[in-house]
Amino acid sequence: MKRLNAPKGWSQLLFVAPSEPWAALRAAAAAGAASTTATLIASGLRGRGGGGFLTGAKWQAAAAEPASQYYAVANGYESDPAVFTNRLLMEENPQAIVEGLAIAAVTVGAREAFIAVRAEYTEAIKRLEAVIASAEREGILGATLLGTGRELIITVRPLQGSSMIGEETVLMKALAGKRGQPEQTPPYPSSVGYLGKPTAVNNVATLAAVSWILNNGAAAFAQIGDTAQPGTVLVQISGSVTNPGVLEVPTGTPLSEVIAAAGGTASGATIKALLAGGPTGGFIPANLFGSTPYSGAGLQNVGAHIGSGALLALDKTVAIPELATMLTRWCADEACGKTIPCRIGTRRLAEIGQRFVDGLAGPDDAERLQKLAADVTDSALCAHEALAPSPLLTGVRYFAPEFGPAVAASSATPTSGRS
Amino acid sequence: MADLIDRPASAVTPVSHAITPAPSAEVAVDKLLTTRSPQRPQRTPTFYVEIDGQKLEAFEGQTILEVCRANGIEVPTLCYDPKLPGFGACRMCVVDVEGCDQPSISCSAKAEPAQAVSTQTDRIREIRRTNLELIFSDHNAYCLPPCQNKCPSHIDIPGFLKANAESQFRESARIFKRTIPFPSILGRVCPAPCEDHCRRDEVDEAIAIRDSHRYAGDQVLKAMWDEDLDPPVPFELQPKSGKRVAVIGSGPAGASAAYYLLVAGHDVTVFEKDPEPGGMLRYGIPQYRLPKIEVLDGEYQSITRLGGRFECGKMLGRDFTVADLKAQGYDGVVVAIGCYDTNDLGIPGEDADGVIDGLDYLHTAALGLTYPDHEGSRVVVVGGGYTSMDCARTSVRQGAKEVTLVYRRDMKDMPAADEVHEMIEEGARAIFQAGPTRVVTDAKNKVIGLEFIRMQLGAPDASGRRRPEPAPGTEFIIECDRILKAIGQGPDMTWASVGAEGVATTKSGRMKADAVTFQSGRDGVFGCGDLRNGATTVVASIADGRRCAYAVDAYLKGLDLSEIRNRQTLAEPQPEFLSIVPFTAEVKEPRLRLKALPAAERKNDYIQYEIPYTKPEVMAESTRCLQCTCEAIGFCDLRRLGIEYGTTLKTLEKEHHGGAGFRSITENRWTGANHDYLRDDSHAFVLREPSRCIDCGRCANVCAEVVGAACYDFMRTGFDTLVTTPLDMSLNESPCVSCGRCAETCPTGALMPKPRILTKYEVDESRCILCGICVDACPYDALRSGFDFELAHTDRSEPMIDLIALSKLERTSEATFIRGEANWENTVAGRRYDPARQLPVLPQSLRK
Repeated sequence: MKRLNAPKGWSQLLFVAPSEPWAALRAAAAAGAASTTATLIASGLRGRGGGGFLTGAKWQAAAAEPASQYYAVANGYESDPAVFTNRLLMEENPQAIVEGLAIAAVTVGAREAFIAVRAEYTEAIKRLEAVIASAEREGILGATLLGTGRELIITVRPLQGSSMIGEETVLMKALAGKRGQPEQTPPYPSSVGYLGKPTAVNNVATLAAVSWILNNGAAAFAQIGDTAQPGTVLVQISGSVTNPGVLEVPTGTPLSEVIAAAGGTASGATIKALLAGGPTGGFIPANLFGSTPYSGAGLQNVGAHIGSGALLALDKTVAIPELATMLTRWCADEACGKTIPCRIGTRRLAEIGQRFVDGLAGPDDAERLQKLAADVTDSALCAHEALAPSPLLTGVRYFAPEFGPAVAASSATPTSGRS
Repeated sequence: MADLIDRPASAVTPVSHAITPAPSAEVAVDKLLTTRSPQRPQRTPTFYVEIDGQKLEAFEGQTILEVCRANGIEVPTLCYDPKLPGFGACRMCVVDVEGCDQPSISCSAKAEPAQAVSTQTDRIREIRRTNLELIFSDHNAYCLPPCQNKCPSHIDIPGFLKANAESQFRESARIFKRTIPFPSILGRVCPAPCEDHCRRDEVDEAIAIRDSHRYAGDQVLKAMWDEDLDPPVPFELQPKSGKRVAVIGSGPAGASAAYYLLVAGHDVTVFEKDPEPGGMLRYGIPQYRLPKIEVLDGEYQSITRLGGRFECGKMLGRDFTVADLKAQGYDGVVVAIGCYDTNDLGIPGEDADGVIDGLDYLHTAALGLTYPDHEGSRVVVVGGGYTSMDCARTSVRQGAKEVTLVYRRDMKDMPAADEVHEMIEEGARAIFQAGPTRVVTDAKNKVIGLEFIRMQLGAPDASGRRRPEPAPGTEFIIECDRILKAIGQGPDMTWASVGAEGVATTKSGRMKADAVTFQSGRDGVFGCGDLRNGATTVVASIADGRRCAYAVDAYLKGLDLSEIRNRQTLAEPQPEFLSIVPFTAEVKEPRLRLKALPAAERKNDYIQYEIPYTKPEVMAESTRCLQCTCEAIGFCDLRRLGIEYGTTLKTLEKEHHGGAGFRSITENRWTGANHDYLRDDSHAFVLREPSRCIDCGRCANVCAEVVGAACYDFMRTGFDTLVTTPLDMSLNESPCVSCGRCAETCPTGALMPKPRILTKYEVDESRCILCGICVDACPYDALRSGFDFELAHTDRSEPMIDLIALSKLERTSEATFIRGEANWENTVAGRRYDPARQLPVLPQSLRK
């Protein structure tokens, strides 16, 4: 995946290496934790991993927790097997990520911090480690943080295993060498995280924005994109578009503009839908492209979510029931097996989907799908489980005729996606 | 530490943290280290939460589930173990917290002040039910074996067969008596619906379940007659309640109700219209099938020996009314007077001389009288049930010249199909698919024949049998002198008109009584048995009587019967089962059939013609049982919740299998692919049945966190996840310490303490050298050091045998030689020396 040039007028910040490396870290260390979190809260920066919590508030909570140890973790474990936005970011701008993590560590009071990376991302690991090594040589990181008596050891932790490691409670356990299953939240990692200690866990894209905000000011950031959730998001657009690749999109940009930025549709093809959010994402029909802004709230309103930042453009050769079923089956197979609705329920959803694909669906299967999806989502332990029904739900919601006459007839009744 | 536990009153008032700030920071840190971990301080601030409308006190740090449990509010859980923090895998403990979009997981969510929690909203119950159904859809196991499921009284059949196989016949009879008080009677007269569904039938032949409990019951009767030993009582006798119950009718339903009421501690009097108790058992069933003195009277002694009284010759409606009984101080009345009115044929000439009520005929025969002029007559019996069979076979025994049984349906649809070949052997004739149309009479209105019309079989009716329809023009006449009517009976409800106001009659002329609470319209009056159900089998009547007794017991204790009705309505319907025959290396062994006297001999006699099993035979037959029951049946949380949430009701989705509903517990709304795992019984004490595993993770957590061995974990991913040992290895290869905590915490039957093996060990004390290894090794502490370091060991049948006592016996062994208890030289020279007894010695099998 290559990086695409953004159209004029789109703010670009994530791939911009800080003009003066470590200036933001020095500023944060000098100003103190309260000032850093206040700046971040004022900037409106929200987590890019999916949860959408205010980053500043998260750090504040971790710092306020009484404990003997604190940790900071950068989540660079990209769960979606077909998306490489984080990898690209780590390879192209390792400085911003390491600096952002160091700021997080200083803010919450951690002496140890980790960058969790997929073990397959060997180039990213190499570049991140190079930044850390040079910083340690210069006395910026390591035993004497910024020349003070404090220490901050940042380690790159290559991880291997299931896609579930992207889930932050699973990541905490994976780092500690425990069984990779999510834990009930609350407590969030900000109070019970790595080894049971308060931990600031942030996506690498979030951390890359942190150093930019400290260098350029909260107000500048707050103006970018949708003011309710400002900033930029990394989007990987692929499928039936002329120039597939990774785009840095200001939040709130209409989907139609994102498609145009990727060079529009491939020759001779008409895009009938976008799959937004990867395997647990939702289908968005073409008639909503103009009215749907690319933002957390905008996508949730139509039953999809930002997720991994994937946008897959689908033309008429793609059968929605088949793709939705394949994705649900992938979710079922990747489930960690902890909760019953996820282990059995997602599999049953995939089986119902398969019946639609094979033309074997019974008269009740459309209703069963809705019922099971609602129950699985409502009793979900983690986002994987809560979002796994999305492809089938949005498929039935927007492309009912493809699912057969029974669904087409019942699609008059409104269906609800997870919001 | 003390000041943290008992804080001064002044410090208590506005507390926001668990720990009171101590005057000196250093001292406080020290205290924190010692008092905070691992338990929270004993006294933490309390607040109030509202759960299901109740205002309840909660401590800071308590989960919602802990608050519920502490206050007796039931929240279902499958993965929660009180020893460990909430795990959140089963999602059964969901509750609704006001103001939250999503249901909360109560095992993990902390209670917060002024929270409003509902544990039983419709939405919450829906989620729980979906969860349970999802579990069941991948639960390739069964609860009840099909035989027990099909028995109207749900006898623990594998249980008593196992006791039989161990030659524990009294225990076998005791197990039987938990659901039916009369193993010997049922061992003779039961149509044995259980045997039709025996899974052994798919290996070779069904087990002779009926004949096996007959043997056990007979052993109890024999001990009672010979040694005056009381029959075993199924449950502990309850202390006397002081309540008096009148049971009217001493047939199977009445006697069964009386028996369980006596066990429950009530004072019971049974009223009977005939001179002797027994009802249909005495006056309907012939002597050759059920010996009256040896068996019937013997079995009924189990009632009198518990203090029950029979008052014979007193008939309801003639000698007393229900109101009279109330006036006499009876707290409850059970009416179980059965069905004695034979149905009419509904054809012309039915009033002719020679048309006889089959039941009257049998009644006379049971009194030892031959029906007048029966010898040498030509008899036609109409009907296909057991009564018609008894009429025909008794007629043969009374010397009828010609006996013809006519039934309107096919032979395979005949209720008494299993007995018809014996009747034919004895010389009677059977005609199928013919219905009576007219009684042919002579001028004196005396029967000279019966006209029939051929029946052709039409579409299946509600019972699944094909409906017989007359084929016009196929009439034929059988010449005869006697016609015995045996086409079913109805109850006589005339008693209800006087002194029983409130007792109602159904459209079919039966007594109206609730199917679960057995209450009639009149307070304290209950109805059960044939009176309520119409003529059925003995086993169904006994089951009805037992259930009625429990309802009466609940009534006498003042319990809310309508609540019991709700519970039972959910509990009663049982799921049906797919016939999954496990791969088994069972040797094919045909059933041991009961031998019978030759037809030529038995047709002239009323003695019981079946020759019962011998002891080796009954043990061999019982050993054939595959024991296809779930060991966890009584304490399986999944089954309990499945019943409570109605997930096993086959009526839930009618479209399955042509309206028949679901056939197995894995069938429900979410039926799909499921797993079938192999049983692992390689470990000595823990039996693993992964097909019953619901992946709650309790064993893994307890083993890792409490025991520290970590034998189990979640293996594989997705739908194929299973909590098992690494690489599915045998527990023997894992770090297992045989503590059994995993089996203890397992909510289903996936991990079980290994069932007792039928092997018996004998200890040869004469060869014991008191090394004590057995004491150290025995996991059940059955062997232990006794006085003076002798060994004591226990045995299931003889609780304590002390080696000290045995050592007083004169015996000689190497051990006694070593201890100088015997004179070595003398003994070697003398008769006691046995080289085979000297250690070391090879086992008998290896000695040659």
